[in-house]
Amino acid sequence: MDSDRRRDSRSWDWDSPQCRAQLDEVFFRRHDYIQAGSTEHREFWAFFDRFQRFKTRKEMSGPGAKEDRKKTGSGKVDLGLPKEYDARYRINVSVCTLDVEERLGKSERRGSQRSSGPGSQEISDCRLALLHFLDFSQRQSFGKLAKLRREQKNLPIFQYRDRIVELVRQSPVVVVAGDTGCGKSTQVPQYLLAAGFNHIACTQPRRIACISLAKRVSFESLNQYGSKVGYQIRFETTRTPVTKLLFLTEGLLLRQIQQDRSLAQYQVLIVDEVHERHLHCDFLLGVLRSLLAENPDLRLILMSATINIKLFSDYFSRAPVLQVPGRLFPIQVIYQPIPPDEQPSRSEKLDPRPYLRILQGIDQRYPPEERGDLLMFLSGVAEISTIQEACQVLATHTRRWIVLPLHSTLSLAQQDKVFDISPPGVRKCIISTNIAETSVTIDGVRFVVDSGKVKEMSFDPKAKMQRLQEFWISRASSEQRKGRAGRTGPGVCYRLYAESDYDAFAPYPVPEIHRVALDSLILQMKSMSLGDPLSFVFIDPPPAASIQTAVTYLKEQGALDSRSELTSIGSLLAQLPVDVVIGKMLVLGSLFNLVDPVLTVAAALSVQSPFLRSAQHNPDCTTARQPLHSNHGDPFTLLNTFNAWVEVKGERGGGSRKWCRRRGLEEQRLYEMVNLRRQFKELLRSHGLLEPQSSAPSSGDRGQRRLRLTERKKLHQMKRDHEQQESSRRKVLRLEEGEEEFSSGSDTEGAGRGKKDNEAGQNVDIQEVKFKLRHNVSELQEAASVSQDMSSRQQSLLKLLLCRGLYPQLALPDDHNSTRKDSEQVFHTRNKQGVVIHPTSVFASDPEVLQVPEGDNGEMGPERRDSSRHQLLAFVTLLETNKPYLSNCVRVPALQALLLVANSVDSNADCTRLVVDSWLELELRVPEEALKVLSTALALRGEWERLLLAQLGQSTMGAEQGVSHKVLEKLSEGLVRFLLYTEITYSLRRLTAFQTQNLYIGPRPQEPAPEGNPLFPGVEAKPDPIKGGLRVTSFFTYNCLADSKDLYSECLRTFWSCPNCDLYMPLTPLERMQHEASCRPAGEQQQSEEEPEGAKAAFSSSMSSLTRVYHCDVCDEDLTLTSTEILKHKRQHMYSTK
Amino acid sequence: MEQTSEPRQKTFTCQLCGLSSPFTYYGQKPPNTRAIVLLEECFVTQDPFSPDKEKFLVLGSTCSMCSLCVCVGSDCSLFYTKRFCMQCVNKHLEQFPNQIQAELAKKKQSSKAAVS
Ligand SMILES: [Zn+2]
Ligand SMILES: [Zn+2]
Repeated sequence: MDSDRRRDSRSWDWDSPQCRAQLDEVFFRRHDYIQAGSTEHREFWAFFDRFQRFKTRKEMSGPGAKEDRKKTGSGKVDLGLPKEYDARYRINVSVCTLDVEERLGKSERRGSQRSSGPGSQEISDCRLALLHFLDFSQRQSFGKLAKLRREQKNLPIFQYRDRIVELVRQSPVVVVAGDTGCGKSTQVPQYLLAAGFNHIACTQPRRIACISLAKRVSFESLNQYGSKVGYQIRFETTRTPVTKLLFLTEGLLLRQIQQDRSLAQYQVLIVDEVHERHLHCDFLLGVLRSLLAENPDLRLILMSATINIKLFSDYFSRAPVLQVPGRLFPIQVIYQPIPPDEQPSRSEKLDPRPYLRILQGIDQRYPPEERGDLLMFLSGVAEISTIQEACQVLATHTRRWIVLPLHSTLSLAQQDKVFDISPPGVRKCIISTNIAETSVTIDGVRFVVDSGKVKEMSFDPKAKMQRLQEFWISRASSEQRKGRAGRTGPGVCYRLYAESDYDAFAPYPVPEIHRVALDSLILQMKSMSLGDPLSFVFIDPPPAASIQTAVTYLKEQGALDSRSELTSIGSLLAQLPVDVVIGKMLVLGSLFNLVDPVLTVAAALSVQSPFLRSAQHNPDCTTARQPLHSNHGDPFTLLNTFNAWVEVKGERGGGSRKWCRRRGLEEQRLYEMVNLRRQFKELLRSHGLLEPQSSAPSSGDRGQRRLRLTERKKLHQMKRDHEQQESSRRKVLRLEEGEEEFSSGSDTEGAGRGKKDNEAGQNVDIQEVKFKLRHNVSELQEAASVSQDMSSRQQSLLKLLLCRGLYPQLALPDDHNSTRKDSEQVFHTRNKQGVVIHPTSVFASDPEVLQVPEGDNGEMGPERRDSSRHQLLAFVTLLETNKPYLSNCVRVPALQALLLVANSVDSNADCTRLVVDSWLELELRVPEEALKVLSTALALRGEWERLLLAQLGQSTMGAEQGVSHKVLEKLSEGLVRFLLYTEITYSLRRLTAFQTQNLYIGPRPQEPAPEGNPLFPGVEAKPDPIKGGLRVTSFFTYNCLADSKDLYSECLRTFWSCPNCDLYMPLTPLERMQHEASCRPAGEQQQSEEEPEGAKAAFSSSMSSLTRVYHCDVCDEDLTLTSTEILKHKRQHMYSTK
Repeated sequence: MEQTSEPRQKTFTCQLCGLSSPFTYYGQKPPNTRAIVLLEECFVTQDPFSPDKEKFLVLGSTCSMCSLCVCVGSDCSLFYTKRFCMQCVNKHLEQFPNQIQAELAKKKQSSKAAVS
């Protein structure tokens, strides 16, 4: 036995995996504290190697000094410590592993029978190492905890901890004001948690802040692996039933209030960063102010920088304010106004010299060993690239700077670079928009250069246009920018303006509510029943005109009715967290069989464009993008791109990253699209606008399901692993970083390629992992292939839906475009003349498709171009930067689209002259054709409206069946036929201001009474009190134009035979339309009776009942007749008297 | 106000440095750690820095001499077969082995250097 041992011992090899495995069976069994195969287990063996080396070194240095302990003095207590020092005595843990169990005779294994394996020496070596390892891990974790507590204690806010809790207990609203670095955002929620408050919500203006705060606070509150602290943003949530503290966006909290006014789910609400004065935040404060009265138990905390604190306190009846000093290092301010000869003139580029001087000055004054980066604030992207170019020349020369741009249109990878570390002796020069003022915080900045300018979006209600303009910043922003230099040490701030300029700045930035269109806000207010928006108590009320504009716009959009109440489509739109136009598209799309493409387009139009601007000048990208382009419009290009991407995802998975890079696409945007698309789908479903998901289990047998389950498990693990690594990963930048980026103009292929591919190999594409977890790729692929195979008929229907969604955002090509260069094509909207197409739009490179074909020009000469091919552009945004630009445009056939979507169509007596929305005039040459096209449009529109209402009614009333497929099929068939095959020549032009003034005949007292002469049965046609003529439907007024003739003039009568019934008689245009509207082919009449009850009930204006009571004066009798019958009846008297 | 809080968390606070943190167990046999035995009665919590729920973390214990409640941080206490708070260690420094005395002297020096 003994000899056996010795031999085993001699052959024992600590490095051999077999030997280690044998020890694993002793120390790391399945039920032991550390299990073989776990992370700790790996760490142990790494530790073991270090430990053994340490021991050997110690043994070599010989025995330690002899114990030379003084005798315990008399009268002193004897601690009873062992005589001989042993490091093991310092460990307070013992482990009961197999060896101990065997010694104690507990184990079932017959230890004595083990013939091979570790001897007692190896076991005791391993055991000692294990004890030291456990002690080491304890120290490590405790060290982290102690450090954390130390940092918390050092935050300026720490000493106000009890005071804050006390204030919250005492008063319903508390304002906590503190500057950057005081720790309010991370600490205040924790103080409340520790004080026993349980349901806390903390809003943030930015999604990214929700995620990072939740991460930080859960770590600090020692719950990083639990869900006590969570976040909820548009696409994701980590909230669970045990979540006590939730970070969420302001918009999301508003939606929650919309659903539950009592907000019973929360005990405390914290609204952070209120000083930023975002639209949602200002509104949220207003809503909460009114809610507090109803919920006396609710606690509200406003957190702000030390800006304008009184405003917030006063708004909440002088709520107590707790002001916390910030923690900033001293910052030297140097005013360096730009000399006059270097001032940029309006048209010129920025002169880089003042900026370069600062860089050179830093190089001279500060030795390169003294670290500290530079952050430059410029107003916009163009300015950034001008200065970046100049700085890069300097940097290449001195090799002391790495120049990095930072703005929101950069790819995320590029944005991320600003957080990487520069090599020794080199400084980062980050050139940024005001994104780095509050949204992005970069550590290590020592120098700030402030241009004093900012580009801000404003809304011009008159032109209905957004405008991006450059302004001087406010003193508050100026201070904020300065503060960025003093976060990690003393700093310097160079202001490129005079101190007198600074003094003249406005104290605060203009709050968003004063700058932007209020459509969505007003809609939301309406749906929350907050009463008249004009009398709502905002913290800083927006101009009344701005509210009025929004109300008018919402009426035009059909979201509000004439009494400013929500329509049924309006109340649905208020639930959707998207622009009104996008919401409309979704609702319209749900009616027809076009849900998939509409979902994609709506999602694509709600996120930033995936097409990187920088790639536009890269010929390879342009070529690769070509197949994705659609000359029908940008939404179609986006649709193609998304579908192609989904296709690639399905086939190659992670290969999509490369596919995107080659085309100059920011893949992140596509991920956003797919997430948003899914959210839209769920929204439509929850509002009953989509059939519920089939509950059948996903295809495949049990084996396949299990396979998918295992895959999901693996993906989840990858996601967790990634999240764990993420925090500790800052790369060191290379000196060439800026150069490369600049010379290639993009981060596509080129010099950086090898590096990039390496990276991709090493770390998982986390977006791909999340994508796979969240989406069913094959389902998406199916949807994509549906919209890829769209026929031209479906395409034109989709266009119509987009156009109706976007209406009244329409633009008319200028008459003289055919004689202009491609880049100088001009368009007009109703409110703004002379707009151009944004260079990113497909129509900027291919404007011919918008022009009336040559030769289609009638004989009327150039001032009146007759054609059947006039087109309009429906657009998503009109934004003025240096020019007013239209972006995201779709082209639509003018006459058809206008008749089907416009809010106001006015005609003359024979309907050959039509005026739409009082700005577009259409002249049709043949009265016969004019009548036909108009009455077809009226019939289609009436039916469309009816079905839409039925669909919406069904969603609100929960009726069993929706609109029948057959009826829908017929409508879409009709619409498509109308769109594609209306061959009618007409002219199209804008009305001049003079023409608009004298457009209508106006009301006439001698106007023949309407004598129950409705065009549609059930709908009263009344004289229009303003325009004159007859108001036939909500959007069509007949015979009100100034050139109109007498309504019943006999000369307008022509003989006409109805194709559906045997009617043949001379009719006026009105009578004829009226007949056509009510006379349906024999086969169809039954169908309307088949319509489900729900649909009928929902349809308020009883358009479905064809008959009404008519009192005939001649017969002196009440007759129940359809309007055609009434017409026939009257005519009967007419002829008999003659 | 409706306080739906669960039973108030028990909190451990070091009487020397003030570090405080909730603890879930006091004793020598932390739950869910089959093979682990502590050689003193400790304030224990689940290790917040480990994804593994079964990992524990010792926050502190009581001084074997003066019964002061101290954390395991090296500024506050020392374990050498028993727990000693730093006050007691300093009082009876000569009874501790040379290695420990040397270590403490070195630490004192470096912390002095950091202060000055
Ligand atoms: Zn302590
Ligand atoms: Zn003591």
